[in-house]
Amino acid sequence: MAKETQSQTVGAKPSPVVKWLLIGLSVLFLFVMLVLPLITVIQEALRKGFAAYREAISDPDAFSALNLTLEATVFAVVINTVFGLFAAWAVTKFRFHGKKLLVTLIDLPVTVSPIIAGLIYVLTFGRQSAIYPFLEEHDLRVVYAVPGIILATVFVTFPFISRELLPVLEAQGTDEEEAAAMMGAKGFTIFRKITLPHIRWALLYGIVLCTARAMGEFGAVSVLSGHLRGQTVTLPLQVEILFGDNKYMPAFAVSSILVILAVVILIVRSIVEYIGKEKK
Amino acid sequence: MYIELKNINKSYGSFKASDDVSFGIEKGKLFALLGPSGSGKTTILRMIAGLEKPDSGEILIDGKVVNDIPASRRGIGFVFQSYALFRYMTVYDNIAFGLKVKKVKKQEIDARVKELVKLIGLEGFEKRYPSQLSGGQRQRVAFARALAPNPQVLLLDEPFAAIDAKVRQELRSWLKEMIQKLGVTSIFVTHDQDEAIEVADEIIVTNRGRIEQTGTPIDIYQNPATAFTAGFFGVTSELEDYKAFRSFEEVEEYDRAIIRPEFVKITKKDEVQKYKTSAVEGTVERTAFRGNCIEFTVRCNGSILTARRELDEPRVEVGETVDVFIYRIFITHGDEVRLLPNNAIREESVVI
Repeated sequence: MAKETQSQTVGAKPSPVVKWLLIGLSVLFLFVMLVLPLITVIQEALRKGFAAYREAISDPDAFSALNLTLEATVFAVVINTVFGLFAAWAVTKFRFHGKKLLVTLIDLPVTVSPIIAGLIYVLTFGRQSAIYPFLEEHDLRVVYAVPGIILATVFVTFPFISRELLPVLEAQGTDEEEAAAMMGAKGFTIFRKITLPHIRWALLYGIVLCTARAMGEFGAVSVLSGHLRGQTVTLPLQVEILFGDNKYMPAFAVSSILVILAVVILIVRSIVEYIGKEKK
Repeated sequence: MYIELKNINKSYGSFKASDDVSFGIEKGKLFALLGPSGSGKTTILRMIAGLEKPDSGEILIDGKVVNDIPASRRGIGFVFQSYALFRYMTVYDNIAFGLKVKKVKKQEIDARVKELVKLIGLEGFEKRYPSQLSGGQRQRVAFARALAPNPQVLLLDEPFAAIDAKVRQELRSWLKEMIQKLGVTSIFVTHDQDEAIEVADEIIVTNRGRIEQTGTPIDIYQNPATAFTAGFFGVTSELEDYKAFRSFEEVEEYDRAIIRPEFVKITKKDEVQKYKTSAVEGTVERTAFRGNCIEFTVRCNGSILTARRELDEPRVEVGETVDVFIYRIFITHGDEVRLLPNNAIREESVVI
């Protein structure tokens, strides 16, 4: 009630027609664009019955794809958490030249097409690269191998965690850290006792977003993968391969794994957001 | 001298925050660093604390040069302007933090925290978080936190800035009392002259990175040593042409003629007055009730001046023509200031 009267005092009272029209349009749009495809995925996956579905998802290739996806995601989240903390800390707590440039660079992976990111790594680590002989000598394979897929995933999900941390750290300022340092606290103690409690929820939220993005990554991974079935194929690539082979039902079945993972992440996200708000 | 600064210089780019700053502070005294914003007072405080490094010059605490000693080992308690309380720690943990970091025994920490909580009168609030406290309570916690490790020196950056007027008054006397009781050498930064006059044992006036004057509040108020100090204290007004007021010595070269309300006497035409021949006429433009007195804005010889009258004196109305007599004037020339008494007073005392 209080909220309603408040919104009415601001400017003219909006007509109920406009209100319901806007709500209706939004719901319709969401339904057509998001809910319908999701339903289709589940429906198609289960079209030939539950037994066929179970067979499709217990296929060794699908299983290895799930494994690889999870592996790449874990790497991406761990690496980007560490990097994101460092970068956000550096940018907000210190004054230095080129700070703006660093912030802009952090955003680069979002603005560059993932395909290009993939190509960059192919050129950097592939046969035509200057460091290829060195890699060859040490038996290190990046392109068309698991490390390449991890690299691509890390690159694409680069900004997600630092972006969440930056505004929170910015708002906190440096006073509390300074006060702690004055009393003789060392860097790690300061981080653990003062900074971390403050950024906890933003960090968790960043990790959730990073996880979601890492699992769904297709473009950059596709370029670096080489599509070796059962070896360098992630879930999204597996879906593409099955689809290309006209195996629709299995394609949808594998897709449904991604959908379930996404829903789980959404739920985790909501919980994190809710608790974070409560804490404030 | 317990704390001593010798020829300190500090610049931020082309901005000179400290320009050959030197002064000394006796043990156990409460000093105020007073100046307008940008005068370099906070920089001085932060350099003493070790949060900033001077470009040149020496800082001594208890006879030792501390320039290269890190902030945490200078034995200083620092109260930040915004208090910088650890918002994810309780009052207890905030106060205990400095001791925990120093690996003091648990029972000792507990005893010290309890003692301090009692001192600041916040018993029963130990488990609260800073966000659940009022501004005044937060300030007390910040004070206790700074004192917990038994510092030799207590530094406070604008300690009353973030508190509303009524509580501020209360906290001022509280803080003064506490510091006197504990006998810890303290310096606080402020831009509020009333605060400095009321709280400090001695005041250091800063302006544009330099020290203008050091002295007791009374001394600085009554005998300003520089043009800046003369204009900074009290409610000052400036006279356009002081020679238009009678019975003053004529000074050849001067920049400003500064007066305070207590230098001015306004008299109704029908009242008896002592120095009638030396008074000039003025018109009352505005009156304002100030609680314990009435303040008048008077236009006189082209200048606007502020004067006060007691509440029980006959009422003076807006638009009324009154006699204005000025007891004394601060005359400035460059950095110099001179107190010019009204000769009418001197002549009288000579006669007697």
